[in-house]
Amino acid sequence: MALIEDIRDFLDETGSITKFTGNFFTNGLKPRFEVKELLAQCYSIGYKSLPLIGLTNFIMGLVLTMQLRPSLLKYGVESQLPVMVGIAIVREIGPVIAALIFAGKIASSIGAELGSMKVTEQIDAMEVSGTNPYKYLVATRVLATTLMLPILTILGDAISLIGAYIGVNINSVTSLNLFFAQVFQSLTFSDLLPAIIKTFFFGFAVGMVGCYKGFNSIKGTRGVGISANSAVVLSSVIIFFIDLLAVQFTNVFGLN
Amino acid sequence: MAKQTENNIKLGVFVLVGLLAMMLAFYLIGNNSSMFKSSFILKSRFNNLDGLKEGNNVLFSGMQSGTVKSITIINDTTIEVAMLIDTKIQAFIHSTALAAIGTEGLMGNKVVNIQPAKQIGVAVKDGDFLAPKRFTSMDQMMETLSKTNSNVATISEALKTSVLKLDTSEVLNLLNDKEIGISIKSSLKNINAASNNASNMTATLDMVARQIKQGKGAAGLLLTDTAFEGNLKTSMLKIKAAADNVNKASVQLNSMTANINHDIADGKGPLHAVLRDTAISQKINASITNLQKGSEGFTQIVEALKHNFLVRGYFRRQGKTQKKDSLNKLSSN
Amino acid sequence: MENSTQTEPKANKIIPKGEPVIIIEHLYKSFGKNVVLKDFNLTVKAEENVVVLGKSGAGKSVLIKCIIGLLKPDKGKILVFGNNIPELSADELDKVRTKIGFLFQANALYDSMTVRENLEFPLRRHWIGLKQKEIDKMVLEALDNVGLKNTVDMLPVELSGGMLKRIALARTLILKPEIILYDEPTTGLDPVTAREIDNLILKLQKKYHTSSIVISHDMNCVKSIADRVVLLLDGVCYTEGTYDELAQSKDEKINQFFES
Repeated sequence: MALIEDIRDFLDETGSITKFTGNFFTNGLKPRFEVKELLAQCYSIGYKSLPLIGLTNFIMGLVLTMQLRPSLLKYGVESQLPVMVGIAIVREIGPVIAALIFAGKIASSIGAELGSMKVTEQIDAMEVSGTNPYKYLVATRVLATTLMLPILTILGDAISLIGAYIGVNINSVTSLNLFFAQVFQSLTFSDLLPAIIKTFFFGFAVGMVGCYKGFNSIKGTRGVGISANSAVVLSSVIIFFIDLLAVQFTNVFGLN
Repeated sequence: MAKQTENNIKLGVFVLVGLLAMMLAFYLIGNNSSMFKSSFILKSRFNNLDGLKEGNNVLFSGMQSGTVKSITIINDTTIEVAMLIDTKIQAFIHSTALAAIGTEGLMGNKVVNIQPAKQIGVAVKDGDFLAPKRFTSMDQMMETLSKTNSNVATISEALKTSVLKLDTSEVLNLLNDKEIGISIKSSLKNINAASNNASNMTATLDMVARQIKQGKGAAGLLLTDTAFEGNLKTSMLKIKAAADNVNKASVQLNSMTANINHDIADGKGPLHAVLRDTAISQKINASITNLQKGSEGFTQIVEALKHNFLVRGYFRRQGKTQKKDSLNKLSSN
Repeated sequence: MENSTQTEPKANKIIPKGEPVIIIEHLYKSFGKNVVLKDFNLTVKAEENVVVLGKSGAGKSVLIKCIIGLLKPDKGKILVFGNNIPELSADELDKVRTKIGFLFQANALYDSMTVRENLEFPLRRHWIGLKQKEIDKMVLEALDNVGLKNTVDMLPVELSGGMLKRIALARTLILKPEIILYDEPTTGLDPVTAREIDNLILKLQKKYHTSSIVISHDMNCVKSIADRVVLLLDGVCYTEGTYDELAQSKDEKINQFFES
């Protein structure tokens, strides 16, 4: 019985999220556009996440390089280190690390913010004040995460490559020019393009899940905590699923 | 309100830097595929692309100068490769230049190498064809190397089986086994002894025959007895059969020695070494000769005895000195 | 949709005193198996203060949220100025809502915005293109009404509970609504502050000639505000009358509210 209820709850939740997401396309993208709120959200979601994502991606690039080096040394292809690291960062590590950190920072804050707004009836107040809270709160945030994460990823990739450059230089010497020439020599559009495209979906998922969890927060401070927490967990899992789908899609379309 | 504007400016900078970084990345990658440079097209036809793909690099004298734009199959043995070449290099590529498919590094991507030819031609134009040249590509080198390898492998395999066979062969046993060597030696000794015995016997028979001729001794008396004559005849027949056998044996021995000699002369076969021992071979030779001579003499004697009363005449016809020589020789052995 | 609902900031009253502004007929609302309202009827006349009494969870908040259109009833009619709220489109609903003020139990001030931004919010939302000067004037007027002019650039977190309630009231009144719905306006406040709020509500009601529905447990509040008291019990309008009528009632179910 408990199992059946769990399944029912799961399906109910899935349906609700789908409906909530569908609402974004049916209502959220219609005028009036909340441009000012969108810009404010872009600022707090995008700009303010850069230091964190920059730091983690920098460390990731550095560590990845140092971890890969011994293996490459064993096969005598140490000179290919920039190529390996470049591909790893651009194709997978950069987007996914950025998205996960983004989920941790943004999904939780959106979940908590909208959750507490829900609990203190601010969302109702907005609706009464002639504002569609879905458009004002959800659409702006989802758009902001969708647009900001790709930019964060690109900048994160760049910072990560700088980390990788430093990682290469710890054990041997290479010029920045040579390093980047090697990295970009080996990269193709089919490496960069799918990686960028999937970050739009990552961003969309993070924003959507955060908003859904906040919007459906149960009463009380505990409800807000649960919203924030489950927003992070669910969006992180969804990021991995999107990543899996992305690699399958790129395979199907022969972009690999 | 001022804070809002400030935030918007920060956001603007952030977005612009991000977009610039993205454009730069695309530009740098696009640079690889000559997307943003002014370029012209050169074509070349190959019968085998060795895995060349669209987007692979084109090198002019080893310098990055363009990419493969498209690959079209003309027919089953001809594939046309269109290359996008940087216009800056156009003036330096002559129409006589050769295009070849090679490999970057040992295991890298395929590339098209454009090699300037020795004879001077005019500079290429857009859409010109370059003659293909079959470079010794890495693959070919590898192929040759692999053939060489397999040859070496075959040879060493053969060598290995030979050695194994030699190792297990009877000949080597023969060489290794002391007993066999010894028994061969003893056989040879026996043969030697046998031939000695044979000559001794012949000598004795000779003596007997002489005594008979002179009518002396028991044999002489016996020979006068006609009754004894029949017995003697049968004995003689037996002796003759024995002599035949000896003859046969000597013939066999002869052929055997001939074979051995042949082997020795050719210098092949493991026996060679053994038989290089000249002392032994000489002995064998001598034994054989003796045997032959002995058996010859024996036959003659038997023949003489058979014609009992013609003996004197028969022997008289044979030269005395010759007989004596042979007898001396036999006894000396 | 009537053109009469097209509201301007300084629109004159359309409904004269004594005429009904809210008519609720046969209202049903349930959450899952929990039936909150069943066949509820209520009429509110212009410039009348109706207090809805009831136990916690009796559906009082549900009732006024249905009136403002935040919740959709299962069945029944809610006529506000002749518009049936459940059947209105989002745009039509927005227009009716400009005439209805709603004071939330938890104040619902946007804590990321200053007091000024909080008050500006409904103005900017409902009348796009209102001049900044007019907005500033209206904000100051609203704050003056509740006596908190000096807090205009403060954030909600910097203010006390009573001040927050007043600012929320100011925001509710800034659009000069004809109907105000109060959701437990004095809950969580000390008695002195609660009396201040009561007086403020009465003062502003007299000033702007609004009709209102007040949800309250606070009998002092009920006593001072109510023109009429409605007792919501088991999803229906159990009884109604003036405060004195109900206070003198012999009915146990009514008495239990007046004893404390």
